[in-house]
This record gives sequence, C-alpha cells and structure tokens, in this order.
Amino acid sequence: MIGHVDADCFYVSAERVRYPHLQGMPVGVLGNHGACIIAKSYEMKAAGVPTGMPIWEATPICPKGVFVKRDFRWYEALSRKMLAIVQEASPRVEFYSIDEQFFTTTEHTQEFAGRLQGEILQRVGVPVSIGIAPTKTLAKLISDSSKPFGCGVIHNDRERLALLRDRPVTDITGIARRSAKRLAEHGIHTCEDFANADRAFVRWLLTKRGEDLWWELNGTPVIPILIARPRHKFVSRGGSIGKASCDPQRVHAFVVRNVERLVEALTHYRICCDSLILTLLFTNEPERSLRSSLLGSRADFEALLEAAMYLLPRVWQPRSAYVHYMHVIADGLRPLANRQRSLFEQSQLVDIKHRINNEMGRFVLRSGATLPLVDVYGDAANEYDICDIYGKSCF
Amino acid sequence: MCKGISILKARLKQELFDQYELEQRITSRGAGAQPELHFMYTDPVVQLPVIHDGQLVIYEWGNRGNKESKLPRTGWCRLESLKAGKWRWLSPEKIIIPANFGLEKSVWFQINEGMQGVVVHDEQERPHAYMLTQPASHYYQTMTRHERMPILIDQEI
Repeated sequence: MIGHVDADCFYVSAERVRYPHLQGMPVGVLGNHGACIIAKSYEMKAAGVPTGMPIWEATPICPKGVFVKRDFRWYEALSRKMLAIVQEASPRVEFYSIDEQFFTTTEHTQEFAGRLQGEILQRVGVPVSIGIAPTKTLAKLISDSSKPFGCGVIHNDRERLALLRDRPVTDITGIARRSAKRLAEHGIHTCEDFANADRAFVRWLLTKRGEDLWWELNGTPVIPILIARPRHKFVSRGGSIGKASCDPQRVHAFVVRNVERLVEALTHYRICCDSLILTLLFTNEPERSLRSSLLGSRADFEALLEAAMYLLPRVWQPRSAYVHYMHVIADGLRPLANRQRSLFEQSQLVDIKHRINNEMGRFVLRSGATLPLVDVYGDAANEYDICDIYGKSCF
Repeated sequence: MCKGISILKARLKQELFDQYELEQRITSRGAGAQPELHFMYTDPVVQLPVIHDGQLVIYEWGNRGNKESKLPRTGWCRLESLKAGKWRWLSPEKIIIPANFGLEKSVWFQINEGMQGVVVHDEQERPHAYMLTQPASHYYQTMTRHERMPILIDQEI
C-alpha cells in the first residue's frame, strides 16, 4: 500500500509552530516580494481569500487577517523533520514536495495513519492529513479529501468508488485545466467517469501519462515511489521580477541573478549543460523563448552568462515590452565528470566563488551586474527562493 | 509607518487593566484565537504598552493633541532625527514597545519581539512614548504601501 502525508496549510502551520498565538486567527503568508498571498490559513480561506491574491485585495475581504513574511529556511527545516519521521515509519519514502511525502507501508489501518499523524504533530508541531491506498494517485486523493487533519484509508473497491464519485477530474494530480477540458468534451467530468472510461480511449486522448492515471484510479499502481530524485531533464531558475519593468539594467541584473542561481544548482547536482534557454514573459506581449548552444558542456558562470547575454536582446522583443517573469533553463544535461571540455575553456572562478559563498553565505560573492537589485539584495531574507530547495521529486 | 499595534492580553498584568482601563481594548480575531489588546494612534485615549527599565507599563503615545506642550506633535520619531541630535534637548531614553502585530494601511503584520521606541517627559514630567521609524524596506513598502517602517527587534521585514 502507499501512504501520502500532506501538511495542512503548511507555511501557516510552520509559522504557528514558532508563534503559537497565530492559532485560530486568519493568517496569510506573503511571497518573495510581499505582494501576494502564497499560503493562507483555513480561517483566511473561509473569509474568501484565495492563494495568489494581492494583499491589497485581501485586506478588505479579511480585515482581521494577519500577514507574515515567508521564511523558506524555516519551512524547509520543518519539512525535513517531517520527512525524517516518515522515514522512521517506512523504508521507502518519496520527498515529493516541501509539504508532501509518499511512502510504502504494510500497515493500512486508520490507527496506523493516526499514530503517524500524532507523531508528526507532537515532534514537528505541524498538522498533517494522511491517505493510504493501493496507488499514489488514490493515496493523494484520499488525503486531500480528509483535510484538515484527517486520515483516510482505501481498503476495497467500494471505498475506492465512493472516493471517486462526484469528485472533479481536476482533483487528480496530473489532470490540469487543458486535459479536463478535453475530457469534458467527451462527457468525462468526474474521477469516476475517468476511471470508467475506456483505457485505450484515455491513452489516445491524454497519452501514456493519462493511461497511467487511469490504472492508478482503478487501483493498479503504475507510478512508482521515487526514493531518490529522478535525473533532471532540465534545470530552471527564475520567477517573478517583482513589478514589471522595461528598465534594461534591472532586467539584465535579474538575468544575471538567475544565471548565478542556475550555476549554483548545476554545481549542487554535479551536472553541466549543452545549451541554455532564456524565456521572458511580458505583461503586454506574448512570451518569448530562445535557445543558445554552448561551446562544449558547461556549468560555469562565465559561459552561461555569455549565452544568456547573447539571448537577452533577441528574446526581449519588442524592446518596449514590460518583463515581469523569466526563466533561465539549462538543457542537454550530463554529469560534470563525463563532460567534453571545450578547446576554448579557460580557468574558472566558479570554484572559488562557490567555496566563499558556502562558507560566508549565499550571494556574499556575486556579480557586480546584480548591483541594481537593491530591493532584492538589500533585503536579507530575499536570498532564499522556494525552488532552490534540493531533493524534492516534484519540480 | 505603523499606526497601531496589538499585544496579546496574556502578556499584560492584571494591575495594568485596572489602572489604565484596558478592558475596552480587548478584542479577538476568531473563536479559537487568543484575546488581544489594540492600541491605535487614532484612539480617543492614545496609549502604548512599553517596556521601560525592565517594567511593562502603559504610556501616552506621543503628543497628538496638546498644542501647549513642548513635545513634538506626533507619535513617531525618525531614527535619522534621533541620530542627528534633534531630540537631544528632550533627553530621550530607549524603550521597547512589546507588540505581536502592527497595523499600517489596513495591513496587520506579524511582529516577533517588539519594536524600538523612545520615551521623553513633558512639562509635568509625564512620560510620552514615541515609536522609532526608519525608511521602509522594499518588502515592507510593497506589503503596506508606506515608505517608513518601525524598527523591529531582531526581525527583518
């Protein structure tokens, strides 16, 4: 059987661990720039505040709400404590995301789930919901339906069908809006409809990924527990740049920052890449993306920055477009140890920089081109970004 | 800036409730939430809880309405002014404003320890507390849309 542990409103619960007085009140956690709500308590949700809403829209809806600045270091620390407890209960645990784990288990009773739930609450302080079922997809569905602070176990077909009945297909991880729309065109609206649909038809409509979900919903496990992070297909760093901007210095500085973060990730995973992709999202123009091949397989700042700087003016079209989001993506990945060195490669600063930053703190040594980002580096807590948490299997 | 604060009721001694009629300040954010006391600069009686010489006491918050007083007619003291010596003639002493939440432009934000302030005395030797402020960080400014922020103790927003 497969278990799924999912923390209830994790970021808020994590804040309540160190600030217990936040219990019982509407709490919202703000994102990297202080504008958007990235997590909210059930009390704030009940007031009608959705995740992603800007704070200035949320305060009139929930005037008693309290807002907290995110602290991803703290959330990661608690997440790893949760992970360690689940690992005590099972030899095979997948660190799926910061607030979720899958595990294999031979025990599949409410009592077992309740014990694990109690253990996590007592030792970490975070309330979790737990689902146990024959497959990962069903385990996640049953833990979601048990929220908050519940446990659900699927032992037989009757319980499985009861879970699927009337539940929209979008509740299935892996069925996003576009897939749901395609399914709806064929009269498939609920999880039950999906599970009862013809397998070959589902494969035709949603390819192998859809068929895997079909098997899983019908109780046959086909999606494995990943106890080690799968090999990357690509590594990406980026995100919002705060307020949309067409200031070349600021956009350039954000590209440099993201290249530095990317190099950090490549160094961590001990991989290099053959090409770099730069994607810019604009407020007033369609998104644009271009790729640049590198001279050999590289993981050093100079080579990746050069490629990014080559791409930037070509992707930023028209020049008047306001950039608000970007991705710097390393593609064509291979182990650093197996790389073919370029004839033109020279001695690199990356090791020195990596060593200094490891010892002195992240971004202590960074490119001077990021100097315009006073708002980012002037804020000590801005150095940490959620996507830089290593070891998760999701993303 | 910060136009109001909230402190958990449990942090205040009962004597203070009797002495300063604090009962009317008690409020709650939800059924399961701890009761708090709100202190706003716009309140009819302008007060702040402060820790002065190790004691948690209630002082008048700045000087809002007394035109006769020599004290600055505000509730806030700019750190830059303090450092420039503009408050020296009032012999300000440092205090801590113990707060759990701060309020600015309808945004309640979390305060971990408290905020810094100064206390000065008026002509009748009555203490008045002023909240120390500094230019807002980018984060605080985005969050509250105010260009100044209180100086928080061991906390960066």
